[in-house]
Amino acid sequence: MPRTLYENELRSIQDQVLLLGNMAEHAIERSVQALTHSDLALARAVIEGDQEINRKRFSIEEGCIHVMATQQPIATDLRILVAVLNIITDLERMADHAEGIARITLLMVGEPCGEDFGHIPEMAVKAQTMLRDSLTAFINRDVDAAHAICNRDDEIDALYDMVYATAINRMVQNPSLIAPQTYLLWTAHNLERIADRATNIAERVIFLVTGRMDELNVSRY
Amino acid sequence: MDLNVRPNVGAQSRCADASMQAKVRTEELCIYYGSFKALDRISLDIPECRITAIIGPSGCGKSTFLRSLNRMLDYTPHVRVEGHALLDGEDIYAPAADPAAVRYRVGMVFQRPNPFPKSIFDNVAFGPRMHGVRRKGELAEIVERSLRSAALWDEVRDKLNKSALALSGGQQQRLCIARAIAVEPEVILMDEPASALDPVATIKIEELMRELRERYTIIVVTHNMQQAARVSDYTAFFMMNAERAGFVNEYGPTDELFTKPKDKRTEEYITGRFG
Repeated sequence: MPRTLYENELRSIQDQVLLLGNMAEHAIERSVQALTHSDLALARAVIEGDQEINRKRFSIEEGCIHVMATQQPIATDLRILVAVLNIITDLERMADHAEGIARITLLMVGEPCGEDFGHIPEMAVKAQTMLRDSLTAFINRDVDAAHAICNRDDEIDALYDMVYATAINRMVQNPSLIAPQTYLLWTAHNLERIADRATNIAERVIFLVTGRMDELNVSRY
Repeated sequence: MDLNVRPNVGAQSRCADASMQAKVRTEELCIYYGSFKALDRISLDIPECRITAIIGPSGCGKSTFLRSLNRMLDYTPHVRVEGHALLDGEDIYAPAADPAAVRYRVGMVFQRPNPFPKSIFDNVAFGPRMHGVRRKGELAEIVERSLRSAALWDEVRDKLNKSALALSGGQQQRLCIARAIAVEPEVILMDEPASALDPVATIKIEELMRELRERYTIIVVTHNMQQAARVSDYTAFFMMNAERAGFVNEYGPTDELFTKPKDKRTEEYITGRFG
């Protein structure tokens, strides 16, 4: 096949995107585990691990710039690289949200919370699944799957509203819980933003395949 | 409109009034070299005062198509033309059409710069002289105007009587462009105008093309994908069919063809995966 080197470079970049996605998903999972188990060591590990994720993101970006400068990609190839540049930004921001959850774990030390994290674990599982599915749609160029991901964002938004309502109610009932409930709200917000980022990735998949950039992440809430 | 009579409209006015109407239109145009069919039913609308690029693999008839638009093929033996090539709606292959009049209105610039072995002045003045311009003052005006339009005046104003062959390759090609526009054509055909030039000269030619687009309809054949993407408004992708006759596989606005080509074969060609 003509342009073997070019094909290999494109494939390698996309493999690196999957790797970055895996790192981000892992960070989210560990951050929520650290929170629900009050595992401070794990929380610190997530915070320290964010540097490696940032480096991976910039490494992929440099790879894209190299291909653009040396191979002059156009048409679908160009859309792949433009999509990658946006997707890695979303993945890196997802990891930042995971880091934010880890920092909340450190803030929660000594706060009364018990084991009641409400819908937080469910939000985390859904957000991680959306992340994973968005990258699967990217690799498979699956527009239908991408649309389905965007539709699932409303489920996360609904869970966030329930976390919010519960937190407000508890704060009103018991002002001593204001601080920990606020931390849980921040956690839910971080997870809700992770889900939003997954829909951004899905939008980029649709753009890559069709050449159209449609705003699909419009919440009904 | 009488094909053999040039419209009495200056270049500036012509393009100011240009709509998206076709300046050049081909209808089911077929070109034969003897019994060999080189082009198969080419139907294209070339818009006025725009740059249209013709791309495609070697041998698919791009240059044949270009040369059919100003009857340069008349000089090739055993050529037969079917279908129509229209300039402002008039068939340039109609029996009453004067090939010389067609070439007066449709100029051409070739791949390799081909200045005459004459002075710079005489190269540019050649066409106007052939068409009856005799007054020295008028010729001087035409030469200066043409050289300015070709972005060459400042480099040669002090040596107009020097041989054109002493110019660099890029300068020679701009001189050829000045020579072409000295007779005030309406359409300029360019057959890989920068392929023999270095990168700096190439960029100058491309800049010049964009300036000339303000006043002329330009059709350019190029093998350089990036050049087609940089300079043209519309792009036609030619391919060969099973009988090795050229046909138009896809035609459209350049930004669409190079970002979202409709046809898979177009995508494969422009991304270098062809064949």
